[in-house]
Amino acid sequence: MPGERVRVVEDAAKNKRVILGPGLRRLDDKVVASKAGPLRHKDPNTFWVDNYQRRYVPARGDLIIGIVKARVGDLYRVDIGSADTAAISYLAFEAATKKNRPDLNPGDLLYARVLNANADIEPELVCVNSNGKRGKLGVLQDGFFFKCSLNLARLLLRESCPALAALTDEMPFEIAVGVNGRIWVKAHSMRETVGLANAIMSLEQAGYAEIDKICGDLNSVMQT
Amino acid sequence: MNKTNTENDAKVKLREMHCKFNPLSRCDGSVMYSQGATVVIAAVLGPIEVKTQNLSIEGSYLECNYRPKAGLPQVKERIREAAIRDVLELALLSEAYPRAKMSLQVQELEDRGSIDACALNAACLAMLIGGLPLKYSFAAVHCIINEKGDFILDPEESETQHQKASFTFAFDSVDGDLLLVQTKGAFKIAQFNDIECICRQASVEIFDFYRSNIAKYHSKSEDQPLATIESARSELPMET
Repeated sequence: MPGERVRVVEDAAKNKRVILGPGLRRLDDKVVASKAGPLRHKDPNTFWVDNYQRRYVPARGDLIIGIVKARVGDLYRVDIGSADTAAISYLAFEAATKKNRPDLNPGDLLYARVLNANADIEPELVCVNSNGKRGKLGVLQDGFFFKCSLNLARLLLRESCPALAALTDEMPFEIAVGVNGRIWVKAHSMRETVGLANAIMSLEQAGYAEIDKICGDLNSVMQT
Repeated sequence: MNKTNTENDAKVKLREMHCKFNPLSRCDGSVMYSQGATVVIAAVLGPIEVKTQNLSIEGSYLECNYRPKAGLPQVKERIREAAIRDVLELALLSEAYPRAKMSLQVQELEDRGSIDACALNAACLAMLIGGLPLKYSFAAVHCIINEKGDFILDPEESETQHQKASFTFAFDSVDGDLLLVQTKGAFKIAQFNDIECICRQASVEIFDFYRSNIAKYHSKSEDQPLATIESARSELPMET
C-alpha cells in the first residue's frame, strides 16, 4: 500500500545496490511504496510493485504500437496511449532520406521503439535499429487493432507464456504486441482475425490456468 | 448494516462496506463503493494530456468532478468536489508525472448519509486501483451528535434528521495525520476531541478494508505461480 516502508528492499540494499522499479521510491534512507499491489523481485537486485494498469507510461526501449495523428514539419505526432503524444522524425524509417519521405497518413498504425522517454519531455520514437534496418518495426498494414490492459500485453510477451504458442498451433497469424496495451493481429481471413482478437481479449479475464483452454476453444469457435 | 449499540448509547460501528473494482471499461481505474446504502462510483484517468492553461512543469494538475445523482452540480456539490480535491492534492505524488493531468470523476448513485466520507473513500480506492502514485492512502469518516447528545458514527440518513452537529474527518494511512476536518453545528471542544478519537479508530477499519480488497483483487487477477513471473520479466523496462 502507498506510503508503507518496504523493509525487504531496505535489507537487500544494505549489502548491494538495488534497482527500484515502478511503484517504489526512495525517501532519504527509506524505501517507500507509491502504488498498491504485490511486491515482486527479480534476481539479482530488482524490485517493483506489480499492479493492474491500463495507462501506459513510456520507458526507453519499449516496443509500442502508436497511431499517427498529424504531421508537424519534419515530425509525425503519434498517439501511444500515454499522457503526451510521441514524436517520430520522418528520417527514423528504413531507407528514408530527405527526398524519400515515408508515406504516413493520420490513422496509420506504427510498430515502433521508444528512443527517448522522460517525464519532462515528449517521448521520441524510432522505426529502425541502430544499423538503420527496420527489423520488425514499421507501419502495420491491414489486420485488426485493439486495446487491452498493460498486464495482458506484458503477459503475452513473456517467453514462458503459453498463450501465443497455443494459438499458433491453431492457425498461422501475424501479431504485434505493444507494451502500451495495444495489440494488432492479422490472420488469413477476417473471420480468423476477429476470432483471434476475441480469444486474446478473453485472456484478460482468465486466470493463468485457463489459457490453454481458451486457445483450444478457438478452433471450435471458428467452425461454428 | 446498522450494528447494535455497544458503548453506552453511542453507535461506534461503521456501516458495512462493499466495493467492486473496474466496473467501467474506458477509464484507467474505477470503483463502485458503498457504505451502507450510500453508493458512489469513482473513476480516475491519468496521467493524461493537459490543457496548456493548467499545465504545470513541476507537478501534475489534478482535476476533480463530482456529479450528483440527478441534475447538474450545484454549490453543495462544488464544495464537496473542492474537499475531495484538497485531500487528493495532499495525497497525490504529483511530481511523478509533471506536465500531465490526473482526473477524478465521482458519480453519486445513492445518498443515504455520510456521502462526503463515502466519496473520499471511493476516490482513494480508485486512485489505488488506477495505479496512480500516492504518498499515502487516506480514509474519511463521518460522525454526528444527535439531539440527545449521543455520538453516531457513520449515520444513516434517518438518523441525521435531528442532528446537533456533524463532523467529517480524513486521516492518512502512514502517520494518521488529519487531512480534512469538516464540521457543522454547535459542539464543545471535548466532544470534538472524543469524536476525532472515535473516527480515528474507525479509519483503521477502513484501511483494513482497502488492504484486504486490493489483495483479493490482485490474487484473483494473478493466480499464476510467482516463480514464472519472476523468471520471465526480462523484457520489462526497469527504471532506477
